[in-house]
Amino acid sequence: MPGLSNTLRDLRATRSMTQQELADAIGVTRQTVIAIELDKYSPSLETAFRIAHVFNVPLEQVFQYDPPSGKRK
Amino acid sequence: MPSLSYQEKSLYGELVADLAVFLPYFVYMHLHHATLTVSIIAAAITILIAIQIVLQIVIAAFTRNRLKDERDRLIRLRGYRAGYFTIVGVMLFGMGALWVHTTLGQINPSHLALHFLTVFFAVLMIAEIVKTIAQLVAYRRPL
Repeated sequence: MPGLSNTLRDLRATRSMTQQELADAIGVTRQTVIAIELDKYSPSLETAFRIAHVFNVPLEQVFQYDPPSGKRK
Repeated sequence: MPSLSYQEKSLYGELVADLAVFLPYFVYMHLHHATLTVSIIAAAITILIAIQIVLQIVIAAFTRNRLKDERDRLIRLRGYRAGYFTIVGVMLFGMGALWVHTTLGQINPSHLALHFLTVFFAVLMIAEIVKTIAQLVAYRRPL
């Protein structure tokens, strides 16, 4: 996903959490967690906050937005 | 082999059922188009429903986690959008072809209603297959 990245895999690894455990904690399927980790899917705001809540970190520590260069208003 | 969610397995089941009914249907209609009847369409729909029920029961029985989440709903909407555009596009083509054949005298006007029904059913079948394939592709592509 252009511009949007996340540290989900690292956060999960530091807590020894499986994809299925995270999926159960935030109420999505394991395939959705995989898609988020691979930057193939941007979750809804609610799911993003749930993820941050599970890891007990601020949202911007989980998701980072890098605006595309050369596009200015 | 990527792991499949319940929704994906269910979609593959739908696709198998669709193809198992529609392919023989299209072949039969192509070979015997002089004997079109409403009963053939009714039989195709009945067989499709029966296969769908059996396959979905089997898939559900062998899948532990049947959760549906926001990504599934988004992909479903994308599939329905693809199906809608297919219906509009193919229906225009089908109606146009029907009009041309009627104008050229290749279709008996007294059989027009039956031909319309055939085109309508074919459009629905094609749209259903496109919808299912679009959903399956969406599961493997970035959203």
